[in-house]
Amino acid sequence: MTTHIVLLNILLPVAYFATVWAYAKAFFKNSPAAKKIKTPLLGATLVCHALYLLARTFRFDHPPITTVFEIMSVIAFSIALSYRVIEYVTKTKNTGYFILILALGFQLISTLFIQDLTDVKTVLRSHLLGVHVVSALLGYSAFAISAVYGFLYLMLYHHIKSNHFGVVYENLPNLEKLEGLAMTAVLSGFVLLSVAIGVGLIWLPRAFESFSYFDPKLIGTVIVWALYGGGLISKWAIGWQGRKIMILSIAAFSISIFSLTIINLFFSGFHKFY
Amino acid sequence: MQLLLLGINHRTALLDVREKLWFSDDELRSALPALKSRFFSECFIISTCNRTEVYGVVDGPGEAATVEAAAGPVIDYLLDLKSAAGSDTRSALYTLGGAGAAAHLFKLASGIDSMIIGDIQILNQVKTHYNLAADMHVTGTFLSKLIQTAFHVGKRVRTETTICEGAVSVSYAAVELSNKIFSNLSEKTALLIGAGETGEITAKNLVARGIGSLTIANRTRAKADELAASIGGAAIEFDDLLTKLQSVDIVISSVNSPAYVLTADQVKRTMKVRSNAPLLIVDIGVPRNIDPDVNKLENVFVHTMDSLARIVDQNLSRRKTEIPAVNAIILQELTAIRQWFEALQVNPTISDLREMFETVRAEEVKKNINRFSKEDRDLVELVTKRIVNKLLHLPTTNLKNMNGENADDSHTRIHAIRTLFGLHHTRADSKDASAPETKQ
Repeated sequence: MTTHIVLLNILLPVAYFATVWAYAKAFFKNSPAAKKIKTPLLGATLVCHALYLLARTFRFDHPPITTVFEIMSVIAFSIALSYRVIEYVTKTKNTGYFILILALGFQLISTLFIQDLTDVKTVLRSHLLGVHVVSALLGYSAFAISAVYGFLYLMLYHHIKSNHFGVVYENLPNLEKLEGLAMTAVLSGFVLLSVAIGVGLIWLPRAFESFSYFDPKLIGTVIVWALYGGGLISKWAIGWQGRKIMILSIAAFSISIFSLTIINLFFSGFHKFY
Repeated sequence: MQLLLLGINHRTALLDVREKLWFSDDELRSALPALKSRFFSECFIISTCNRTEVYGVVDGPGEAATVEAAAGPVIDYLLDLKSAAGSDTRSALYTLGGAGAAAHLFKLASGIDSMIIGDIQILNQVKTHYNLAADMHVTGTFLSKLIQTAFHVGKRVRTETTICEGAVSVSYAAVELSNKIFSNLSEKTALLIGAGETGEITAKNLVARGIGSLTIANRTRAKADELAASIGGAAIEFDDLLTKLQSVDIVISSVNSPAYVLTADQVKRTMKVRSNAPLLIVDIGVPRNIDPDVNKLENVFVHTMDSLARIVDQNLSRRKTEIPAVNAIILQELTAIRQWFEALQVNPTISDLREMFETVRAEEVKKNINRFSKEDRDLVELVTKRIVNKLLHLPTTNLKNMNGENADDSHTRIHAIRTLFGLHHTRADSKDASAPETKQ
């Protein structure tokens, strides 16, 4: 079992690299062969990744969310899976390179530094924790995807404005679709983060005696949630659209990453396990 | 049997020369049977504004000299038929034979021989002209197979390469730009300012691509009404232009005006009213109709003739990079059709050869059978059949193995065998109307 886990751990970055390479060849070189194999390659990578996460769960008797590097692997999986769902639903197949390169980065770091942890705190074996963490991770993955689509929107916007009709112009979906993809990702992320916060508020006071509503990570997460909620309101109620809402999406994601990094590095609280 | 092509096109002649050899449908109906009876076993003609090409199947081995020899009388006949005899017309004509002629047809079908690379409108014209020839009963198995393969090449090129993708005219470039900003044109609205020719063509293209609605504003209301009626849309007063700008997604401006039709301030005020919804403005007026500062406004995209021409240039350059991939497809299909053609040639020849030997054997046995005792007659049948089989085994094997050799060589050998053994008469006796090789 452990041998399989080690092999899959080594195989995964290779599989992600091959997938990203195929998507890059399809986007930048218009390669028919790459266009043909990229989606099946992503499917195979996702299957390997799912098997890897399941194997870790059964082998170490806890969901793979107990260390930073386990979580990175879950993030890589959730980004790749979210992208595959987007590709399937929207039939937009040209943006994979820009999204999956994030998954490759997360999985590469995870593969290099992950350790087999068998002795974990009892609190980390809870099913509610699983729902809490997985929904939070999927939520942040969706925000990452929305930021990538926001970035692609701005790139294409700039290219159209400045009469650059090259690879980006030819291969990216249109601006309206990119905006739609970004906003769908924001909405999905907002719903998932709402679930994570809701489950957390039910479970955390029961699990931790030291629970506090003033926990820095809790406050940070709520601020991020409010930021995205505000963005959605400005989109629907005020009617913001186009470049402005895409800049807001990227800014919100940058603030999320920045604030969570600062909180993890400089603040301590009950909400810190590793 | 040999495929012959002779023609004139946009590369070899200007329009005033090309038009001398242009055939109307009625002219084709009278020319095709005449050409077939005089020169070919099968033929058809493609005649468009950019080219006139005659494809014909002639008897004889596939040698270059024969191509020239076969083409000469046909050229004389065509020039005489079209009263186009003259050094300019004759020198603009080209001739190709065998695989070269087939390759030319495949290039035509793939769009790489078109005036605009990747334009495969010619495929429809080929289909129409081939159907006309088929109706006149001047085509047969070989040309039918060749045309089907040409259509297959066209289909493969469309699906396996991007040579047909991307706008290659200014008016389509404007539509392509619209598609890069908006998802679904049927949910969008367009405003045409002015009634200039390019603007009208662009608006027509938008309508053809299913634009939700089209509004036309022109200083002369009657002209706007007329245009709206002809391309499908609604006309408004020119003074209502700014009001309409609040609700449309695409503006095409093609006005002959010394002053800007839309200034940056006007558009800025409009953008506030329309909640900053994206707006594409295609300015194809000369001098420019739209204040260049409008492009600095958020969510407003202004494009002029220059930027549309740049899209066209880039698409054409990109199409050119696909030519090697198209040539690879053509080569594959040429190989396939050559194998089919060789099998078509070889199999009847083997069959004829065996039939001829069997006839000789049977006749000789019949003549001499009485010289043998009744007990030995079956043995005579058996032994003579064995001799014939053994004699033919090596030639049959070698003929079958000729597939894959140089096409001209194999045609020459088959022709030599047929001549050597007098197989012309054997095939003629059992001639199948659908098999062109029977004419040899």
